[in-house]
Amino acid sequence: MASVKRWVLVGLAGCAALALAYLPPRGATARDGSFFRAQVPWGTPARHRAQALADEWRSADASLRLLRARRELQGVLRETKAGTSLVVVSESADVAIATPPIVDSAFHVAWRQLDLGETKVRVAVIIHLAVTGPVRDRPTIEGGIAAYLAPDSTDRTTCIAVLPAGIYWTRVFRGATVSRRLPFDALVQTLKTGLGPCAFYARYGAPGKSVRGWLVARGWDLAMTLDVGARRPYRNSLIEMAEPRYPWYWEAVYSLPPTAVACLASRVDGCRAAVLAGANDDPAIPVPDIVRIDRRWGRVPRLLEGQRFLGDVARAVGRDRFLSFWTSALPVDTALAATLKRPVGEWTAEWQRDFVRPIRLGPTPPLGAVTIALGIATLALALVALSATRRQVQ
Amino acid sequence: MKTGATVLLAIAAMPALLLGQQRWEQQVQNRLARAVDALPATSTLPVVKRSGMLNTSEGASFQTPLTEHVSYAIIAVCDDDCSRLQLTLLSSSGSDVATERNSESLPTLHFTPETTARYGIRVVMEGCRWNPCWYAIAVVPLRKTPS
Repeated sequence: MASVKRWVLVGLAGCAALALAYLPPRGATARDGSFFRAQVPWGTPARHRAQALADEWRSADASLRLLRARRELQGVLRETKAGTSLVVVSESADVAIATPPIVDSAFHVAWRQLDLGETKVRVAVIIHLAVTGPVRDRPTIEGGIAAYLAPDSTDRTTCIAVLPAGIYWTRVFRGATVSRRLPFDALVQTLKTGLGPCAFYARYGAPGKSVRGWLVARGWDLAMTLDVGARRPYRNSLIEMAEPRYPWYWEAVYSLPPTAVACLASRVDGCRAAVLAGANDDPAIPVPDIVRIDRRWGRVPRLLEGQRFLGDVARAVGRDRFLSFWTSALPVDTALAATLKRPVGEWTAEWQRDFVRPIRLGPTPPLGAVTIALGIATLALALVALSATRRQVQ
Repeated sequence: MKTGATVLLAIAAMPALLLGQQRWEQQVQNRLARAVDALPATSTLPVVKRSGMLNTSEGASFQTPLTEHVSYAIIAVCDDDCSRLQLTLLSSSGSDVATERNSESLPTLHFTPETTARYGIRVVMEGCRWNPCWYAIAVVPLRKTPS
């Protein structure tokens, strides 16, 4: 009988080990419903290659545009009256054009709403209007991908942003009636977001070496917008819009990097790792320091709502404390923890909970599968026990 | 009389100076002008001035000729966001002659060279709360010492 008990225990331990190894993670249940599914259209390898080349061209074009703009804007900036910290110019098809009045007006409203006023680092914005006709000799410039030239030793006080307007806003700026009421507020909001890293430079000046190196290494993904607005309701991703009962919610969750998934589960270590990725003791800062930010829908963030992380930190701690972090010579983790007066992971986990309810991670067997598996296991154990009993010598 | 003339000159030149000039730059220029006015400068030798902006931990330097047996005051000022500025006088070979780092935002050095030569002046922005911080330096010849 003792032998049977041992076998039962061994069997149960084996089942537990198999369950741990093979059970799917939470949310990764088999897709139920129709057998026929819509397929995501995938391009051919040649098309992917063409798109990658086009993307490289756009990146190089944006860099050239920024460097040329810095030279050309020197005169414009010299002629601006004292106290002016924002300059807006426009171009279309490589030709300078008069800035549409609505853009100029919306930018100044945005500047005022961001409470920027006169700043040590001036911001020059180049609005790149889309070409209405077909362009065949080069890739089209896509809206949603902006480029920024950060201040450096050749010009410590100017941050330049090139913002492609895209087809929709170009039509609005050119006076086309795209809606009954001109979406001025939406335009102001778009421009506020479009200022990106330049807004941080304007508000807080140039960051210290460690903070700057950290942000450069991450592509400024934690400081994409100074204007944080209300935390709820905020619907920037599928994860925030969907609920855990839908399979696509979990697909969106598992498309994130592991540290971001851990942070969604309120795991402090995961949050810390997600925020401090890219921070190191010897940061490299490129010259010229060009930042390219992709704000298109569908990009995978390193941290959910990460684009507003530093904006929220600044709002939580106040300007003076944030400035002490921003210009600190200390390593990023030390400086950030000192500013937050809490461990970075703890603060971030709590911040993350403001956007989504914490998810539960770990293996999770479906109820039906558990029932069947337990039934089979019980049957197998019963058979083994029965056969072992019969083989005992009386 | 000299102060009055300086003020009149400053007022006359103001519109051109203010064009495109940020208030921090104006702030350090005004501070430097006041500091120079407070010194008993000689009128025979020119006052050398430099200004610029630096982020925290960055430094800048320039060279200027100093005449033997003339006492010089080298003063540096910085804007309101600057908390510590280091000022160093360097010999023509590049070695440190004197360093002032204790007076926070208004370091001053007094020096009388034994020989006429080009000396280096280095300024390091040791503390700036809101980068970049503006600074301005003046090398003021005070009077000839009797030989």
